[in-house]
Amino acid sequence: MKRFIGAAVLALLAAAPAAFAQDARAMLAELDRQGDFAGKDFAALYTIVSQKPGEKDSVTQVRMFRRDDREQFTMLVMLPEVNKGQGYLREDDNVWFYDPTSRKFSFSSIKENIQNSEAKNSDLTKRSILDDYEVAGTTEGFVGKIAVWVIDLRARTKDVSYERIVLHVRKDRTMLLKQEDYSVSGRLMRTTLYPKYVELEGRLMPSQMLIVDELNPGERSQMTMTEQSLAPLPDKVFTKAFLEQVNK
Amino acid sequence: MNTLANIALRNLTRQKKRTVLLGSAIAFGVMIVTLINGFAGAFSANVAENFSDLMAGHVFVSGSEKGEGDKTLSVIRDDSALTAAVEASGAPVRYVTRRSSFAGTLIFEGKKLQTNVDGADLSQETFLRDRLLLKEGSWDSMSDENALILSEKIASRLNVDVGDLILVQLETVTGQANVGEFRLAGVSYDAGIFGQMMSYANLGYVNSLIGLAPDEYQTMGIMLDGLKHTDAAAEAIYGRLYGGVQLFERGVKDEDGAVTPFQALMRQQKKESWEGVKYRLFTINEVLSQIEQIVAALDTTAGVILVVLFVIIMVGITNTFSMVIFERIGEIGTMRALGVHRGGVRSMFLYEALFLALGGAVAGIALALVAMGVISLFDFGMDSPAFIIMRNGHLSFFLPPLRAAANVLIIALLTLVAVASPAGKAAKLTPAEALRTQK
Repeated sequence: MKRFIGAAVLALLAAAPAAFAQDARAMLAELDRQGDFAGKDFAALYTIVSQKPGEKDSVTQVRMFRRDDREQFTMLVMLPEVNKGQGYLREDDNVWFYDPTSRKFSFSSIKENIQNSEAKNSDLTKRSILDDYEVAGTTEGFVGKIAVWVIDLRARTKDVSYERIVLHVRKDRTMLLKQEDYSVSGRLMRTTLYPKYVELEGRLMPSQMLIVDELNPGERSQMTMTEQSLAPLPDKVFTKAFLEQVNK
Repeated sequence: MNTLANIALRNLTRQKKRTVLLGSAIAFGVMIVTLINGFAGAFSANVAENFSDLMAGHVFVSGSEKGEGDKTLSVIRDDSALTAAVEASGAPVRYVTRRSSFAGTLIFEGKKLQTNVDGADLSQETFLRDRLLLKEGSWDSMSDENALILSEKIASRLNVDVGDLILVQLETVTGQANVGEFRLAGVSYDAGIFGQMMSYANLGYVNSLIGLAPDEYQTMGIMLDGLKHTDAAAEAIYGRLYGGVQLFERGVKDEDGAVTPFQALMRQQKKESWEGVKYRLFTINEVLSQIEQIVAALDTTAGVILVVLFVIIMVGITNTFSMVIFERIGEIGTMRALGVHRGGVRSMFLYEALFLALGGAVAGIALALVAMGVISLFDFGMDSPAFIIMRNGHLSFFLPPLRAAANVLIIALLTLVAVASPAGKAAKLTPAEALRTQK
C-alpha cells in the first residue's frame, strides 16, 4: 500500500510540470490567436510618445496595415513631420525601409526600433509565441493586485530579438498584462505593460502599451492604438509602389 | 645655338638681383606644390600602414556561414585550411592575428554612444601596446576578462574614468539582443576621426557577447613585412585557398562602378547563395581605397595651386621681360645688324626664360626636400591626434619622381608661354628701328 501511495505521489510530481506546461501552452496559443487576424486585414494608427531624460518628449505616429494570412505588413510614418513618408514593408522574410528623400529602399529588420522610440517593428506585427518560444517554467504572481500566471519562455529560434521573455498573463482571463524581455546574458532589457485592451471581433488587442527601457533609466515609450479596423485593404497597399505613391 | 644659350646665361647673370627675384618667385611656387605632392605621396601609405597596425593585418580573411533560415553569420570556426594556405603561400608573414568585433551602444550613467569594439587576443597582439599609447590606465589591466580600452574622445563623451563599469548593448551574430558589462582599463590618446575605431576588448569576452565559442573568431589578419607586399601576398594566399574552400571572387566591381572593391565584395555576398562557410579575402588597400580619393584631391589641390601661383608669376615674368627687352633694345639692334636672325633673337629670350624656370624649379624642389627633411625630424609622438597620417609620430613625405618632373615641365612651359609675347616683339624689330629707339 505504502509503495502504491509513494508511486502515486511520484507520478503526480512528475506529471505536475507537464500539466503546467500544457496549461501554459494553451494560454500562449490563446495569446497568439488574439493577435492573429488571419483571413482579415488589419489597420490601425499607433501614436508613440517617447520620453528620454534631458530631452523633450518626441511623438511618432505610424499607420499600420497588416495581412496576417501572408505575413505582410506596411507601416507608414505620419509623424514627426521630418520623417513623414518613410515606411516599412514586409515581403516574405524581407523587411524593406523606404526613404522618400532618396527614394530608395534599403534592407531593414523586424527587430528594428520604430524611429527613435523603444518600440520595435515586431511589437506591432503578428506574434507566434508558441512557434518562437518554449515554456521553461510557470509560477504564480501579481501585477498590481491582479493575480497572474508568470510564464518563463526560452527562444526556440534565433529569429527573435530576445533569448528569454517572461509573460505575466491574467488568471481570470487570458490577457497579457506585462512582458519582460531578457538579453542572451540574462539581463532584463525591456519591460512592457499592457494596461488597456480593446475587443475586435472576439480578439483582444492592447490599445495602450508602456515600454520601459531597463538599461537606460528614464527612457520609456507609451504607445496608443486608435482607428483600428478590420476592413479589407487593397492588395497594392502591400507593395513597394504604394510607399512610393503615397509620397507623390 | 650654343652661342645663343651662352648669351642667354650671361644675360641672366648680368642682372643678378632681377634674376634672383624672379627665380625666387618660381622656386617658392614650386616648393609649395612639391611639399603638397610629397605629403600626398606619403599620406596613403602612412594611413594604410597605421591602419594595418590597428586592424592587425595587411591581408584579411573573414568567414560567412549560412545558418538557420539562410541567414549569414560572420564566423570562422575552423581555420586549419586558412592557416595552411597562409603558410604555403610563401608570403612574408610577420604574424597572424584573430579578431572578433561588434558595433554596439556603450551606456554609462545616462550617456549613450555607438561604437565598434574589436576583440583581440592581447597575449598574442603585443605590438598593439606599442602602437596604441594609453593616456590613462594600463595595458596590464587587460588581464581582466571584461576589460576595455577606449579612445580619449569616446571616454570623454561617456564621461567615464578608468575602473568604471560600462554597459554595452549589442546583437549576437545571429541577431539576438545582448548586454555585457565592461570595466574601463585604459584610455588611449585621441586619433581624431578614427577614434571610433579604437575600442579594444579581450577576444574571449567579445566572443561570449556575440555568441561565438572561445576558440572561434570572425577575421584573420595577416601582417606582412610591409605594405608593399600586400597585393602579391593576397594573390598568393587567394591562389592557395582557391579550390580548397569556398571563396568570394576578388576584385569584383559593382554594376555602376561607384563602390570600393571592398563594398562591392560585401554587396556580392548579399546577392550570392551558398551552403556552409564561404571566405572573403580582402586587403588593407581595398578597405582604404577611399583614401586614394583624398590623395587625388590633395594632388588636384596642388595642381590648382601650381596653376594659380604661376598665372600670377607669369604676369610678373611677362612684364619683367617686356622691360628687359626695352632696356636691351640697342643691343638687339646691334645683334640684328651683325647678322643675328629674328629667330635667334626670339630664341635668346626664350632660353633666358627656360634657364630661369629650370633654375627656379630645381631650387624650389631642393628647398622643398630640405623642408621635408627638417619637418620630418620633428617628433609629434604617437599621442598626436594626427598620428594616423604620420610614420611613427613623424610627418613623412614621398615625392614621386615623375610628379616632380611633371611640375618642372609645366613650369618651363608656362614660363615660355609668358615670355613668348615679349620675345616675339623683340624678334620683329628691324635693326634700324632698334638702333634708333631712344631709351
